[in-house]
Amino acid sequence: MTSGPIPPVTREDVFPEPNLRFGRLPQYSRVGLAAVAFALRDAGMEHWETKRSAGIVASTRTGCLATDIEYYNTVLPEGGGLPSPNLFSCTLPTCFLGEAAIQFGLTGPTLVVNDPAEDALCGVRMALESLSWGECDTMLAGHIDLPAGPAIPGIRPPHAGGLFMVLENALYSAASGYGTLDLSEGGAVRHDGIEITGLNELVRACIANLSVNGTRSASPLPLPRPS
Amino acid sequence: MASVTGLGPDLDTTWRRLLAGETAVRPIRRFDASRYPARNASWVEGLESRGNRSLLFPILERLLDGFDPLPQGCRLVTATTKGCIDTFERVRKGLPGDVADIPVSGPLTWLAAKLGLNVPPVNINSACASSTMAVARAAAMIGSGRADAVLVVCMDLVSEFVFSGFSSLQALDPAGCRPFDRDRNGLSLGEGGAALLMMSAETARRKGIPGIGSVVGWGAANDATHATAPARDGCGLIQAVRQAMAKASIGPDDIAAVNAHGTGTVYNDMMEVTAFEAVFGSRSIPLNSIKGAIGHTLGAAGGIEVAVGLRSLADRTLPPTVGFREPMEKCVLSVSPYPQRIGGIHLLSTNSGFGGINAALILKGNPG
Repeated sequence: MTSGPIPPVTREDVFPEPNLRFGRLPQYSRVGLAAVAFALRDAGMEHWETKRSAGIVASTRTGCLATDIEYYNTVLPEGGGLPSPNLFSCTLPTCFLGEAAIQFGLTGPTLVVNDPAEDALCGVRMALESLSWGECDTMLAGHIDLPAGPAIPGIRPPHAGGLFMVLENALYSAASGYGTLDLSEGGAVRHDGIEITGLNELVRACIANLSVNGTRSASPLPLPRPS
Repeated sequence: MASVTGLGPDLDTTWRRLLAGETAVRPIRRFDASRYPARNASWVEGLESRGNRSLLFPILERLLDGFDPLPQGCRLVTATTKGCIDTFERVRKGLPGDVADIPVSGPLTWLAAKLGLNVPPVNINSACASSTMAVARAAAMIGSGRADAVLVVCMDLVSEFVFSGFSSLQALDPAGCRPFDRDRNGLSLGEGGAALLMMSAETARRKGIPGIGSVVGWGAANDATHATAPARDGCGLIQAVRQAMAKASIGPDDIAAVNAHGTGTVYNDMMEVTAFEAVFGSRSIPLNSIKGAIGHTLGAAGGIEVAVGLRSLADRTLPPTVGFREPMEKCVLSVSPYPQRIGGIHLLSTNSGFGGINAALILKGNPG
């Protein structure tokens, strides 16, 4: 993956039609919602008619700190008189997951995990656990972080941006172009049986797998369960 | 297990005062609330910041004070929505504060070091259902054999950051919250924490630890309806409760009582009544909310309610719903300002939050 500044995410990138909510979201929520939308698009699951039982787990180091700063700036000048309710409703790192659930009809569990580890794999690991425990047949898993900026110096996450992938229980899924993920006995994430040490490495392995195996065969939710 | 709430520094004190129908919701002294229509919250008495560090640390120290050494290989799962938000406020006001405490990794790393744990900890944030989800996760980790023991620690503070936000949403009741009351008018914020050491029955037996009860079912679902308001038909909560009952292999008739989220906002309580009536039908099941007594402790709410719920099962008594006076129209659920008897061993505990999340736990008390 290339590195550099995160490009601005526009409504047109994410939704073909006008979207009342998107324009009001702060940067953290926009990046997170866009990453979820792109993952669903890549999996052929963007369009839906009835709500679907898919969950989302996102890992993060700094969460929505940038939004917290933006919101608190509306509290400070007036001594608490004019805080923004719209910004406040985005001061939980989970808020973009709620937006994603609404926009894409996802009714599984939604949570953000703060993990001090630098591998950014905690969300993927927990989603794989949820799949193996039968909590869902489909999970979106990924990582999101944005720099806090100069307002709070010294807090800089090792990964900046948002990245999500759609994981399905291999028992019920026909989609395998990116390869198969599982967990080792010790809880390490493995891609096609090889232990992975970080999110970037996982993405590289998935893309390499796709280039070897050709186009993937995504199937839309809900997937038929074998009788 | 341990808890710290506005009612007391330990679970026994909180329990005793809950049964007495007392409330810790009172005028805020931590910041100048005079500019806000509501000026009350439930806050913990006697917290003192040391070295300009967050008030979260003295809460955690109180929680862990007297905790027995943890079993070998014990995992740590925490739940908080805003962590050291007071440090964030200090830094943004140009006051001294340790910037490293601001991300949740700050208190998480502090806790792991304090407990001498060498397995990486993780914090779960699922809005106001954070600690419910953390307890569910811990139960799943133990049930699947991925962990023998998990310590769940949940915590959140009363802060101007959060208070001003709920005030801007016009979600605070100036008179103190009245869960499930006909005239309810909003929530009251609270702070506190809980520490719950969970382990497999086999590990507890081997170590000779007498458990107070079990988490036997859990479920979570998003209602995918609105960013801050619950689905009026309660679809997410109904789904979460049914998942939890299926996991516990029990039906609605096996549940003896409900500890509801019960924030006291018009829409939350209406949604919950709708959902519980869908699950329990016309049965007048005993139901309570402790948020009129200790406020809404956000990410700590579910964990504190598990501690209180297990105590309720042990004592066969559901604490009063402080603030409740008149039932909602046509509500068949049994809500009371007085303690209610529990005639069984299963208690349903639920929480819901921003972003449409709903989570449910089924607690089982020891028979006898």
